[in-house]
Amino acid sequence: MNKPMIDRRAFLATAGAFTLSFAVPDARAQQTGAPAAPWTAYLTIGADGRVALLSPTTEMGQGTHTAHAAIIADEIGVPLAAVSVDTALPSDPFRRGGAMGSGGSAGVRAWWGALRKVGANARASLTAAAAERAGVPAAEVTIEDGLFLRGGKPLAVTLGEAAGIAAARPVVEGEPKDPKTYRHVGKATPRVDVPAKVRGEPVFSQDFTRPGMVYACAVPSPVYGGDADSWDDAATLAVKGVERVVKIPNGAAVVAATQWAAMKGAAALKVRWKSTAIDGLSSDAISAAMHMGLDRDAEAIVGKAEGDVAAALAGAARTFSADYEVPYLCHAPMEPWSVTVEPTADGGLEIWGPFQTQDRNRNTAAKTAGIVPEKVILHTLMLGGGYGRRLGDDGTPGAVVVAMAVKKPVKFFWRREEEIGQGWYRPAQVARLKAAIDKDGKVVGLHVRTAGPSMRDSFSPGGLPKGELDGSSVQTLTDTRYRPGAYRVDWVRVDQAVPMAPWRAVGATQNGYFMEAFVDELARELKKDPVALRRELLAQDPRALKVIDEAAKAGDWGKPLPKGHARGFAYVESYGSLCAQVVEASLEGGEVKIHKVACALDCARVVTPDGARNQVEGGVIQGLSSGLFEGIEIAGGRAMNTNFDGYRIMRMHEAPHAVTTVFIENGETIGGVGEPPLPPATPALVNALYALTGKPIRKLPISAALAG
Amino acid sequence: MTTITLNGKSVTVTSEPDTPLLWVLREEFGLKGAKYGCGIAQCGACTVHVGGQAVRSCAIPIGDLDGQAVTTIESFDGGHRVQKAWIEAQVPQCGFCQPGQIMSAAALLSENKAPSDADIDAAMAGNLCRCGTYPRIRAAIKAAAKA
Repeated sequence: MNKPMIDRRAFLATAGAFTLSFAVPDARAQQTGAPAAPWTAYLTIGADGRVALLSPTTEMGQGTHTAHAAIIADEIGVPLAAVSVDTALPSDPFRRGGAMGSGGSAGVRAWWGALRKVGANARASLTAAAAERAGVPAAEVTIEDGLFLRGGKPLAVTLGEAAGIAAARPVVEGEPKDPKTYRHVGKATPRVDVPAKVRGEPVFSQDFTRPGMVYACAVPSPVYGGDADSWDDAATLAVKGVERVVKIPNGAAVVAATQWAAMKGAAALKVRWKSTAIDGLSSDAISAAMHMGLDRDAEAIVGKAEGDVAAALAGAARTFSADYEVPYLCHAPMEPWSVTVEPTADGGLEIWGPFQTQDRNRNTAAKTAGIVPEKVILHTLMLGGGYGRRLGDDGTPGAVVVAMAVKKPVKFFWRREEEIGQGWYRPAQVARLKAAIDKDGKVVGLHVRTAGPSMRDSFSPGGLPKGELDGSSVQTLTDTRYRPGAYRVDWVRVDQAVPMAPWRAVGATQNGYFMEAFVDELARELKKDPVALRRELLAQDPRALKVIDEAAKAGDWGKPLPKGHARGFAYVESYGSLCAQVVEASLEGGEVKIHKVACALDCARVVTPDGARNQVEGGVIQGLSSGLFEGIEIAGGRAMNTNFDGYRIMRMHEAPHAVTTVFIENGETIGGVGEPPLPPATPALVNALYALTGKPIRKLPISAALAG
Repeated sequence: MTTITLNGKSVTVTSEPDTPLLWVLREEFGLKGAKYGCGIAQCGACTVHVGGQAVRSCAIPIGDLDGQAVTTIESFDGGHRVQKAWIEAQVPQCGFCQPGQIMSAAALLSENKAPSDADIDAAMAGNLCRCGTYPRIRAAIKAAAKA
């Protein structure tokens, strides 16, 4: 849940509470040269001894808030249960680059150092206050389990009393503890949100209500970017509970007393849609346009150029080339989109939703309503799955329009068909990889060209001027640790009117597949073991070699296999972490069976090992699912597979029974955990099937490639 | 009028007979543990028990359930062996699908004291989890079977 944090002075003035503000630098501003605005959070120790952290991070089930609580509990010396973590309402201190939001697997890695330091300062300040009250030297006072101790004996001072004294004194600088002494960090720390979740108690956006609230079922144009021309609502209005039909920016919404009545009314609405420029758009046409893009040398925007790859290819003893393709992917969170909007007495709006980009939604709501953002109060609700889906604001305009029309609280929602059919997909993309090989069978040059739409421009319309590089289109290719000799990466922009957004691990998903599937094909061409070839390409990088070796060991690489089984290997670095995986698979009656998955993840440090393990398992399964089954099929300018009968995602009987996970901890900068385990899973499976059948899989999903 | 036994108590339903059980539970009785995920019995987020069997409540009209016993996650007090196993295995991530997963698992274990992997596959294939918690669900079911 979230709490207001509008005025820091008012916050600091809370009676008897000790508050410390702290910040992390804005890494993105450092990259872009924009003015650096620190990303701030507040730690408060109340008169009741409760420790509360208020920060801009959003908990989406990835365990960020548990990790934050563990760091604070360890540094101060209080029980984990005494620490609460809340997401702030959007306000200046919590903004980064002008906006509050979560993403980039930054929840723990960006905050690790700052949380340790503020916890240390809190501990030093509280022990000084307790020492003052007890009349003993501060250096002799410690905190354990929330109690002040001196010589092993408790002092007659509570944490809350000390907080009251510390609030009136300057902050005492503390030194963070040796992480080896931590009791929660790095240990089996249970997630704070789990017990309520197994009781079915959390209030997700879908469950949230306001007094007098009505429901509005969206009926947006199924063609991307389309709109309603007119409608016949006679059958809709005849549904018991339906109140009216309201025009929204891209279609209509059926307003009713209950969610079911709104859905029933929406099913009965007969809408005539305006014709659009993409009424004939199909997956085949999109695919053909992207493949044509691969040949347009003059339009290629360079992402990386080391050495003269053209000369390397021209002078090579031989070359090896392959083209690859991936489809659009839907995030498919289990909870379809909904937003609750309530007009306020002062002409403003109060909004509750499953937000990950709080300011983007607040600004969109204000713009839609024609009011200033300050008149919009936005609350973040528990969200049923993120993976990038909650970065958007696509559901907010319709919700605001309906609330303003009906002048009462309204929950505006999408059915599953809109959740999948309205887009905001991982982009479709193609790639051509061409390697130069010398007479000794050594790789001496590599040219990677990708072609496809700009996700960045679609997600932030006008966000990418023509001629500029969309970094996500070449993500993980431009900064790979592979050293293939002369190396060039470029991208040809082939835009489509299909909405796109970041999808868990973003460009690392498609580009990781392109590179890793190619490396295995290249290994076969060179008659080398796929792991051995990767070791050759990474020979100069001990850190990467360690990840390769740990994964190979955990995945039994090179060991005998049951008949009909094969193993595949892949290595992708993203979001500050290096990840390699081995997948063991077979084909049974034409269906892929995944037997074992082993993963080595070098994220430099693990804060909550079991939570991180859960993220690895989930990332691997989402990567296997998308590689095996997923792809939006487009015809007539719209998605044709808009529910789980057509958009297939991995089920229990198709998932690995376990994922063997090895974490590599070292002195390097802490890396992300939420996204990096996903990208290697698809190519590791592709490579296992290639090893099994000898036929490369150059177009995803795998199920379609095998069937075709 | 439809009368059902809801979590052990006899109740009279006033919703229209064609209203799916899911919406009767959520909107007439305020029981929101069962979720809307797909509306076509494909994802299992709405799973509850009817007569002890796991069913997809989004696709069953309430009018077909006269006299039936309906059980939801709210009738479990958190101390159900499946819930305990779920906490022990730290199963949930986002948590949205988990009430449905737990209801499917509880129905399986009430009929099968020691389910094999194949039994678990068959009983749980109708419950999707986009966070990918399947390995933990499998482990938790096996642990609950031994509890």
